[in-house]
Amino acid sequence: MSAPAVDLRQITKQFPGVLANDEVDLTVERGSVHALLGENGAGKTTLMNVLYGLYKPTSGTVVVDGQERTFDSPRDAIDAGIGMIHQHFMLVEPMTVTQNVVLGNEPRKWGGLAVDRERARQDVAILAERYGFDVDPTATVEDLSVGEQQRIEILKALYRGADTLILDEPTAVLTPQEVGELFDVFDELTDAGKTIIFISHKLSEVTTAADEVTVLRDGKDVGTVDADSVTGTELAEMMVGREVLFETDKAPVQPGEITLAARNLVVDDDRGVRAVDGIDLRIAEGEVFGIAGVDGNGQSELVDALTGMRTPASGRVYLRDEEVTDAPRRKRIDDGMAYIPEDRQSRGLVMPYDLTENGLLGSQRDTEFATSGRIRWDDAEAHAEAIVEEYDVRPADTEATAHSLSGGNQQKFIVGREFARDPDAVVAAHPTRGVDVGSVEFIHDRLLDLRSEGAAVLLVSSKLDEVRSLSDRLGVMHDGELVEVVDPEKVTEEELGLLMAGEKPPNVPQMPRRIRGGEE
Amino acid sequence: MRSTLRLAIFAVAAVVIGVLLLAEQLFPGTALGEFAAVLDAGYAASALRLSVPIAFAALGGIFAERSGVINIGLEGLLIVSAFTGVAVAHWLTGDGTAAVGPGIVLLLMIAVLLAISGALLGLLGDTFEEMAVRGGGGVLATAVLAGLTVALAGPTLAATWLAFYAAVLVSTAFALLFAVVTIEYRADQVIAGLAVWLIALGVAPFASNVIWGAVNSPGVDTLGTWTVPVLSELPAVGPVLFDAEPIVYFLLLATPLSWYVLAHTSFGYWVRASGENPKALDTAGVDVRRVRYAAVLLSGVFSGIGGAGLSLGRVGSFVGSGTTMIDGRGWIGITAMLFGNYNPFGAFGASLLFASLDALQFRLQQLNYAVPDSLMQTIPYVTVIVVLALVGRTRTPDAAGEHYDSDED
Amino acid sequence: MNTDRIPDPLAGLMGRLVDASAGERLVVSVAALFTAILVGGVVTLVAGVFATCSNPSLGIFCYNPFAVYRYLFLAPLYDPFVFQETLKNSALLLFTGLAVAVSFRAGLFNIGTQGQLVLGALAAALVAVWVGRAVPSGPIGGVLIAGVAMLAGAVVGGIYAAIPGALKAYADANEVITTIMLNFIASDVAFFLVSAYFQKPGSGSVETRDVPASAMFGPELALAMAILLVLAVTYILWGTAFGYDLRTAGIQPDAADYGGVDAKRMIVTSMTLSGAIGGLGGAVWVLMSVGRWVNGVPALGFDGITVSVLASNNPLGVLFAGPLFGSMQAGSLSIDFQLGVPRQLVGVIRGLVILLVAMPEFFRTLGVRWGMGGGR
Repeated sequence: MSAPAVDLRQITKQFPGVLANDEVDLTVERGSVHALLGENGAGKTTLMNVLYGLYKPTSGTVVVDGQERTFDSPRDAIDAGIGMIHQHFMLVEPMTVTQNVVLGNEPRKWGGLAVDRERARQDVAILAERYGFDVDPTATVEDLSVGEQQRIEILKALYRGADTLILDEPTAVLTPQEVGELFDVFDELTDAGKTIIFISHKLSEVTTAADEVTVLRDGKDVGTVDADSVTGTELAEMMVGREVLFETDKAPVQPGEITLAARNLVVDDDRGVRAVDGIDLRIAEGEVFGIAGVDGNGQSELVDALTGMRTPASGRVYLRDEEVTDAPRRKRIDDGMAYIPEDRQSRGLVMPYDLTENGLLGSQRDTEFATSGRIRWDDAEAHAEAIVEEYDVRPADTEATAHSLSGGNQQKFIVGREFARDPDAVVAAHPTRGVDVGSVEFIHDRLLDLRSEGAAVLLVSSKLDEVRSLSDRLGVMHDGELVEVVDPEKVTEEELGLLMAGEKPPNVPQMPRRIRGGEE
Repeated sequence: MRSTLRLAIFAVAAVVIGVLLLAEQLFPGTALGEFAAVLDAGYAASALRLSVPIAFAALGGIFAERSGVINIGLEGLLIVSAFTGVAVAHWLTGDGTAAVGPGIVLLLMIAVLLAISGALLGLLGDTFEEMAVRGGGGVLATAVLAGLTVALAGPTLAATWLAFYAAVLVSTAFALLFAVVTIEYRADQVIAGLAVWLIALGVAPFASNVIWGAVNSPGVDTLGTWTVPVLSELPAVGPVLFDAEPIVYFLLLATPLSWYVLAHTSFGYWVRASGENPKALDTAGVDVRRVRYAAVLLSGVFSGIGGAGLSLGRVGSFVGSGTTMIDGRGWIGITAMLFGNYNPFGAFGASLLFASLDALQFRLQQLNYAVPDSLMQTIPYVTVIVVLALVGRTRTPDAAGEHYDSDED
Repeated sequence: MNTDRIPDPLAGLMGRLVDASAGERLVVSVAALFTAILVGGVVTLVAGVFATCSNPSLGIFCYNPFAVYRYLFLAPLYDPFVFQETLKNSALLLFTGLAVAVSFRAGLFNIGTQGQLVLGALAAALVAVWVGRAVPSGPIGGVLIAGVAMLAGAVVGGIYAAIPGALKAYADANEVITTIMLNFIASDVAFFLVSAYFQKPGSGSVETRDVPASAMFGPELALAMAILLVLAVTYILWGTAFGYDLRTAGIQPDAADYGGVDAKRMIVTSMTLSGAIGGLGGAVWVLMSVGRWVNGVPALGFDGITVSVLASNNPLGVLFAGPLFGSMQAGSLSIDFQLGVPRQLVGVIRGLVILLVAMPEFFRTLGVRWGMGGGR
């Protein structure tokens, strides 16, 4: 039996105030697919960054192919045959596939004065073929799909001679079908003798694709199990340490008048490319309309158009009876629309402001806090304190800057602020991203409270569990269109996956696109 | 759509110039014909000459900004090199004799200082051998260049050339300061660039006052012109392209060379990656910091050539009053870079466009047209604003202006 | 060399009592000023080696930095003429520093305060002369003339700044370059207008007629007005919804959009406000210092940038940084006349201050190395 491809022994990594890895052991056999499983913040990415030379371990040893190694930088790790494919791709968009793959190791001609583009292209083509990748070496990266870009990343690692590939949350941006394709690639690579380590927090994928699974929790390794024999529940318990229930109590609510609607909405993205291609939406009082779909299919642009952050190319947006298509953002806020943005750090909060000032964001002219333009800071502070208390934002200090809060607490504050508006319509984009499990339940409960109080809620989320359990009707977006509206309780995950990929599986449990409750 | 607009502007300009060039023949005796008579080969030559400082600033700006560092201080670098060139030239030749020896010593001293700074910053390599070889190599190359110059030119001309080299090195040193401040200490690049400009705006007249008691320098000999034997006799083209100052030839060489480097060499790839997605470059194992330093230093070299080329090229002195003789050319260069969409050829074309307006304004002043001088002088500046308004939204490199931290500890 | 790259999630707990970032910025500003002065001293010393000296003070060193700084900072205290000049400069720098601070707070690099000041000054001078003809002489007439003139200055300055503001808002034209170009244009246009149409008859230099003496006022009044303006702007920025919008737009434009700010309108409005304050400064220059518009307006606009940067773009900070530079500018004439040190030295220090304030990391590193600060 040959030495394991990677053997991490008692790795500890300490940051100021945070112990990210606590004496973690990880052994990965050559030629296997090994999954690293854990919740957000469990220390998976940190561990792999140690292996890849981005961090130096506070203590512990890294052994690659039986040899102890010290990595001062990724270059050392690359030399040792370790390649990493990050969650956010490291590609230079305006450059070609070939240029990206050879970056840093360009074949030269004329004594090093120029890049030998012919040879580079050939090398890339040969490499792609050897591993069964279907790529055009001359294509520009920004024109490729996300799945294709991911494969370029893998090619990059292989070009540099990686024998062990680390993939950080590779399936986060893929449709279920593309995930299947990725796992086929895994097989192809392991057949050729490569070793694969992939980080995930999705149980189903781990049991499908991996040979072995190591679970991390709160920086410690909980154990390594054989992927074929372990059950999902066992894994979940290892991950969380307690029994987890994913149920939400959803009382049936009689939907009322149409509150938020879109007609034939067409929206272009920042580059002028069509992102939303003619969407119709009608959301009623007391209803949660969920939108599922892989990131990048127009959801962000749709949300932008509905909330007034972006003007649609054509089509109309309605808030109650009024058309608000071209109305400025301020009008929609005043008319009772709450918006939880996808990007909390650049949009939802002003990082250097303290919580009192952040609590005013959007309401700075509200008579609750201002008299004809003059801000009453006492009232503003009281408002922020109320939010902090109700949503258990920590630290419970309204003078703390947004910057000093953790991501989860930032998100809770934003949700608290928006929900406190007592809105008629709520547009929530990934509202529980990065939030700890206990607070997720709290936010879900508050959202359903708003629903019972008669708000119309649009929920965009990539967490299928969340969007299925909270929605009354579930729409699926693909390529800028609302391909189908289904019954979230009856639809299967497979059907959802196909819809998200643009396929049309037969006999999906549909729901009406327009529900009764009046005209536009 | 933006690029169509750009092409349209270039096309219209070309047509207008073509008509004007022929107008003298087509419509003799008319106002148009007389106006067009202004545009002769002399005009073309002067437009080309005036474009040099602008274009070099633009080329420098391209390298820096494409690597992710917005260098707004180009105007300051031009000022510094224009002054240094004249100061050193005066020091070497001012009293009538041409002291080449001290010039070489000065040059080598600056080169050594730069090499040591580079080594201390960890730019020249990881091992002592690497640093010694590269640093020493740089100094040696400078020495060889100086020696060759002295051997090939007469003493006065050689002294002027040595002053030119010294000016380029000093400009590079300033660029190094800017690089350290922005890359090492993560200063806001725009403010740091403004600071460099303001420092230069102060230092040049200050030093001029200190040395000569006035903000304007006395005259020095210029670098003269290079005349290519047969080709300069060609009609129309000859006097423009083949009987020009050396810096014009440098520019005609530097432009395609810059394009080639950016498009076809590893360094060019790295510069582009550093400006678009430095993390990609970092994880590819290339030191982003060094690439950015190199790009910023290159902008110092180019600006040095442009600035000293202006003061030592034809003018033969340094004018430090008001906005100095550089008079906004660095800013125009930045605009040319934007207008040319960060492409060396585009920037060169845009610089030529601005310079031809500048040359036109001079010509018209000479002809004493009814429009007053001071208003005429605004033509280049107004053009810049118009261009920026039309072409404002260029595709800047994604990571331009952002500091890059590789997550080492 | 790397200090704190990893965000400390517990930092919030420690930041209770003092607004750590404001305190830190004050320390950086003071340290930057001190360092700039130090470097300026070295520059002076070294320059002295190359200068041709009439009476060398320290051997080969022609210039004595200590004497230089004594003049720059202390002269106002013992020389009544310099004191007056300091008052005047301080008042003017309060205006221009405030103008720059407003625009930088809005996230806009308005480098055009100089041009806005030049044109505002011209407008004020011309209006003062015209109104002066229609109004009887005497204090009440003087107040009227001055008031209208200052209004004219503010309006013209505001309009001249609205141009690059609109270009930025609607055409995405880089405001650094447009405002700098407009500076050049303003000087040329003003020169042309005066020499062609408004030239004072019989004068050798390019200048307008004198404004009525009743409209002129002393630096004390100007200072008082400037201070009031600073307080007003402070109130606007931190006490009103408009100020909240402006600040947010300057820090995180995306969040400002989210919060309902009309980004384009805000750009134009904040530029106009900045230009109006700059134009007002120009009017004060005419009515307080020179009594007319004359070619060769001092570089108050650029000094305003220094003042604002040193004050971390905080109007209240401008109250301190303004007089500081005011005294330095007043002293610069002395060092030239008395010591033979070229007055452009202050220009060098100006640039150095901006450079150093722009790199707080530098001082943070020094602080850590010398054991100061929390060692985060």
